Amino acid sequence: MATISFDDEELFSERPDWADVVPLEQYENISPLAPIFYTEEYKDATNYFRAIAKSGEKSRRVLELTESVIRQNPAHYSAWQYRYETLLALLTASSPSGVISPSDPLLVAEIELMDILAVRFLKTYQVWHHRRLLVALTRKPQRELQFITRSLDADVKNYHTWSYRQWLLAYFGGSVDSTGDEDVSEDLWEGELDFVDTMLAQDVRNNSAWHHRFFVVWGCGVREGERDRERVFKRELTFVKQNISLAPSNPSAWNYLRGILKHTSTPFASVLPFVRPYAVVPSSSESAQRDIVDLENPPPGEGAELPCAEALEFLADAYEIQGGADGVKSAVEIWTSLANKYDPIRKKYWEHRIRDAHQALKKANA
Amino acid sequence: MTLRPVPIDGFSTPTSRTQAETEAVLLEHIPTPDPSTGEPTPKAALDKKLHMQFLVRNLVQGFPTRYTSQDASQPWLMFWTVQAFSVLQVGLDPGNKQRIIDKIMTWQHPDGGFGGGPGQAAHLLPTYASVCSLAIVGRPGPGGGWDQIDREKMYRFFMSLKQKDGSFLVAHHSEVDVRGIYCLLIVATLLDLLTPELLEGTASFIASCQTYEGGFSSASHPSYSLSGSLLESPRPPLGEAHGGYTFCALASWVLLQPYLASSSRKPEEATASIDVKNLLRWLVHMQGVEIELGGFKGRTNKLVDGCYSWWCGGAFALLEALGVGGIQNADSDEVPIDSGTGEGVWDDVDDGLYNRNALQEYILYAGQHPAGGLRDKPPKNADAYHTLYCLSGLSSAQHHVFPSKLRRSQLEAAWEASESLEEDLKKRSFTEFLSWTEEEGGSHIVGGNENRLNATHPLTNMTITHTEGLMTHFYKQTIPAKPIKAKPASTS
Repeated sequence: MATISFDDEELFSERPDWADVVPLEQYENISPLAPIFYTEEYKDATNYFRAIAKSGEKSRRVLELTESVIRQNPAHYSAWQYRYETLLALLTASSPSGVISPSDPLLVAEIELMDILAVRFLKTYQVWHHRRLLVALTRKPQRELQFITRSLDADVKNYHTWSYRQWLLAYFGGSVDSTGDEDVSEDLWEGELDFVDTMLAQDVRNNSAWHHRFFVVWGCGVREGERDRERVFKRELTFVKQNISLAPSNPSAWNYLRGILKHTSTPFASVLPFVRPYAVVPSSSESAQRDIVDLENPPPGEGAELPCAEALEFLADAYEIQGGADGVKSAVEIWTSLANKYDPIRKKYWEHRIRDAHQALKKANA
Repeated sequence: MTLRPVPIDGFSTPTSRTQAETEAVLLEHIPTPDPSTGEPTPKAALDKKLHMQFLVRNLVQGFPTRYTSQDASQPWLMFWTVQAFSVLQVGLDPGNKQRIIDKIMTWQHPDGGFGGGPGQAAHLLPTYASVCSLAIVGRPGPGGGWDQIDREKMYRFFMSLKQKDGSFLVAHHSEVDVRGIYCLLIVATLLDLLTPELLEGTASFIASCQTYEGGFSSASHPSYSLSGSLLESPRPPLGEAHGGYTFCALASWVLLQPYLASSSRKPEEATASIDVKNLLRWLVHMQGVEIELGGFKGRTNKLVDGCYSWWCGGAFALLEALGVGGIQNADSDEVPIDSGTGEGVWDDVDDGLYNRNALQEYILYAGQHPAGGLRDKPPKNADAYHTLYCLSGLSSAQHHVFPSKLRRSQLEAAWEASESLEEDLKKRSFTEFLSWTEEEGGSHIVGGNENRLNATHPLTNMTITHTEGLMTHFYKQTIPAKPIKAKPASTS
């Protein structure tokens, strides 16, 4: 096993099993500007790494050396790259047919090591990419989903973790044509919608989870059980409306709503009955109307701070698309209120929208 | 100024809690009027001297041990440092320049490209940082760095990274992402390495990274038919819209325009397109509100961070190359429009599409660390990365640098034809790249002229002088002097 602690480990320069290697200093004949103050341990390991990379040695002890470098600096992409090449060489050599076995103990140990390192070095590109390379060899994506779910506990918006999950689903769950691989199947996707639901229930403002939802439902082609697109669209519309009603000023949810309307070429105007109550200051008579339950159009919740800028923006866009002098006039009124009152930081943008709409109108009438 | 917190709608979640914490911290940095004079206190002053000291300390004494995490990004540490000097209007002496050149040249890989340090593998990101650092400190001739770049091997290195979907790995056995493509395209354009073979398919890859939100993600996943050809769909983006990737994707898109307009373009590439309107919408929404001091965030529902001053704030200049924003893109027969705001006249069309003043205030009030250097947000430490991107973002908010049609026609007229097979592509790339011009009198400097920084080229993030110096050398061109006054050309 390669999982050892390096805290009280000897330097490579003091180890008899490394005595045959001549370490290579980083800067030999120049005293560089902007040096980094490395620790002795780091200098030692990287001096040996440079020597090994130069000699091209790809043996078991290289795994130990690169692990030492990586643990001290997980962003050392050359150490990762060399480690991968070494692994490939060892795995190929250990298989009589020359075909790498997914259950080779060396490969299994590497994945186990990555389970530890990925959580520890969550923010580096390399830990996640190395994992992709390994999983492409093991072809066991199922356990990865559980691993990702666990590691999201540590950082729910980690970009690498989410894009790794999406890569995994796209790579192994391809719906375009089957590779015929037994590990690759539709059921990789089975729990995905429930997973997103759980993430959004924890935090309805988690944009990574909204993006994942779009990826799962719309981005990857159509899978078994999702072929009735009208039903899927209705389900998603209900889902996003309900989430907007929980916390109206949530740009993630509004972006999802806009995204699915555009993706399905559904007019913005079709959801205006839902949007309007979010764009006004509620009067007392309207709050009385809340007793009437309209499942299609859930009203803003009790604590909603209205009007909500996202709803105003949506209304204005719908009016602009509707077009004509009346449509533009209504849109301009809203943009003006956004510029002056409800979203003044974006004044220049709202003015740009007004200008654009007027010019389009002028051109249409010309 | 009303300092309304971002609405929580009575529905608290982890995101709204960290947001509220950040607002509380930023609130302490928002200036208040002095009771006696009415002047905002503290003053909006950029402490150039203190930031200089921070940079000099890093360059001369070196970086503390915690920077070991950037040992594979040594070219970046160098670029962030020397470019921050340039933005601060500081030049280096020949002795130090030479020491920097010598250091950079130890990063060049024997098989082409540059690595993150001596003996490290070649990688697109340090290749950009090395070449751009050389543009700043290097020169032609022996020992000057420029002529010691192995361009042929670099081109072969680039081609060895190319994928069937038009993307590029950032290094062998490494990931695909749009940062690498941006770095490759900048270097290939600067060093005159552009070919149709290199660029084919890349535009449609970039386009496929745009998400439903309007911004761009890190990469997309290709689908292939059984026969192995690339399918139009599905080609899902991996990861949500993000400021850093959006800058890189948008800049790449702009860099690919000369190719897409040239005679070298493949017919099937005529249809590649991005949704510019949705991109603009996403970008403007990345700007935080008044209580966030108008800083930019990198993703929807995340926190403001000084580095997005450049990645998001700097992206607006790039949109001008696509016909969005800027007086040069406005209709020339435009008549005043009554918006109902009472002002009526659009005399400030060239002010940009985001709040430039607010962004400057974010950097001046929250971005500066009291001990020197700039930062993500208080109470974080300053670092080399945030120091450059806060300064570049501030510079970009101060000045208006735009693609000048007048300048382009001057460059076209002065173009000296070569024997190249790709003459059309070459000429278009060169003239469009160097057409970016600072608008005379177009600067808005919060806090007064003492805060003035050098303008940077919106594509390279180097000064226009440094960009021109390197490019004219590699394209073997001489360019006409700048007109005394560069007013944006009207469309007529």
